[in-house]
Amino acid sequence: MIKATDLLKKYPDPSNLGCMFNAVDGINLNISEGIIFGLLGPNGAGKTTTLEMLEGLNDIDHGEVIIDQMNIKDHPYEIKKIIGVQLQSNEYFDRLNLKELITLFGSLYSKTIDAELLLAKVKLDDKANALPDDLSGGQKQRFSIACALVNNPKVLFLDEPTTGLDPQAKRNLWDLVIDLNNEGMTIVITTHNMEEAQYLCQEIAIMDKGKIIAQDSPENLISKFANKLTTSSDSGTLEDVFLNLTGYELRD
Amino acid sequence: MFSKPQLHLASIFLKIFFRDRQSLFFSLLVPLIFTGVFLFSENEPPKIKLGLVNQSSSALAKDFVEMVNNEPLFELTIGTEDSLKIELIDGNQTAILIVPQSFDYLADVAKLRLMLDASQVRQIGAIQDALNTSLLSIEREIRNIEPMFQLSLEDVKARPQRYIDFLLPGILAYMLMNLCIAGSGFNIVEYRRRGILKRLFVTPIQPKDFIISIVLARMLIVLIQISVILALAINLLNIQVMGGLPSLYGMVILGTFIFLCIGFFLGSLAKTQESIRPIVALVTFPQLILSGIFFPITSLPTIIQPIANTLPLSVLASGLRDIANDGISLFTINGTLIGVLLWIFISFLLATQFFKWKKVAS
Repeated sequence: MIKATDLLKKYPDPSNLGCMFNAVDGINLNISEGIIFGLLGPNGAGKTTTLEMLEGLNDIDHGEVIIDQMNIKDHPYEIKKIIGVQLQSNEYFDRLNLKELITLFGSLYSKTIDAELLLAKVKLDDKANALPDDLSGGQKQRFSIACALVNNPKVLFLDEPTTGLDPQAKRNLWDLVIDLNNEGMTIVITTHNMEEAQYLCQEIAIMDKGKIIAQDSPENLISKFANKLTTSSDSGTLEDVFLNLTGYELRD
Repeated sequence: MFSKPQLHLASIFLKIFFRDRQSLFFSLLVPLIFTGVFLFSENEPPKIKLGLVNQSSSALAKDFVEMVNNEPLFELTIGTEDSLKIELIDGNQTAILIVPQSFDYLADVAKLRLMLDASQVRQIGAIQDALNTSLLSIEREIRNIEPMFQLSLEDVKARPQRYIDFLLPGILAYMLMNLCIAGSGFNIVEYRRRGILKRLFVTPIQPKDFIISIVLARMLIVLIQISVILALAINLLNIQVMGGLPSLYGMVILGTFIFLCIGFFLGSLAKTQESIRPIVALVTFPQLILSGIFFPITSLPTIIQPIANTLPLSVLASGLRDIANDGISLFTINGTLIGVLLWIFISFLLATQFFKWKKVAS
């Protein structure tokens, strides 16, 4: 479904003025249709930049992205029609309620949609006339996903959707993601929550310093890399894998 | 002509604007205040406050004081030199006229002294002229002489032109500039900072759709605001639009386009909400001074005039003035129209070339 070859993105180096560094450094991805694919990595690993290149929001310095047999360089607007994107920041126009915002996003795809039906899907039908600012953290994330669903996308990109949510809201969102996946939607999710990745994803790529350092199913990653246990679990978890691969020093 | 996403987005911008009660209130308050100020100050020119010290006891001096008092141009206060001087320094008098002891029929030339505070009086010449004219007519009356000449003013354009007639088109142009730059420049920076632009460009809409929808929405808002001012001005201040309202609205639409584009350009220059303010001020403030809004450009220093004449606000103001005061139609090809068309081209180029579409997020 998604094929990225040799992706490269250069940014000015904040610690070394005048120099560039590779925020994304020659990444290859092959994401099959119908799976939940997790992109894991410490802060600053290049997850969001990679995602933005896949979504057509960021220029690709080198390499190519093919989604549903279309090259994003040649067909950016065609690809935007078949993907849904949930961004990390969740700000919308002022003074518009959820229903109006959903209708607006639908119209940007030239589609008329039943806003209330879509809001019911993310359990926000009772908030149809509320403003986004009046929502709780979990409700905001669910609304953000609802906005990404207006075009009934083939691929849904979620950028750290559960960061800052309480356990109930997190579980609730996971259920929503699994429901969507069961309907056949391919989902690409970035996270640094290992529990989330293990619970949701059929395949995981671990990124560090702009490169992919491991890519496999959670089970295989654990059996391969969780040899040094950091948690109390007997068999090892994805967190062991993550820490063994990316090291222990702080990444802020 | 317009696509469904463009129209829907435009309707959303309108909805946001009309739901913002505060901005709605102030956008209607400004024209009301403006009209009110002119409504109440239109009557007659303010009287010159004149202090008078009479040191003479002659009959002539008595007659003279009487006549100055009857002169409608002056608001007269009679007092001592010392007390009036204090009032002059405090700014409560504009000038003091001193009638000396020797003021009498017998003296050769009766010398009157006029005391002014030069720091407070900016139109000394005008006051002197007014005084001279009044004194002359008073003298004629005392000596019983009929005036030999009479100067009657006739406007070549054969219609009464008041200051408000000159001022209104300029004020319209100035308001239009502010409304447009605030409507595009400030919004763009805010939408970008909050990630709203990024959210929009996740969807298949294109930059031109976004620009067109903002221009459509703002155009409608500006036309409503301008209509309120025009309605008040035409009904309450007896403003006449000699060239007809359609031409005037046509020029307003062209001006709106120019300044919305300049706003988009400034919005792409500014990285933060803090930096957009000084950038906008840098562009709008000099134009307020130089573009002949409050006084004609010809009263500026000669060196500055060519620059002042080419500013977009000057071009728009004189375009509106041509239509409102001189009865020219929008389609009359003259220097102003060419200027307007040039600015449409330049501003559109600036807006599209500098708008960094990929960097929609900060």
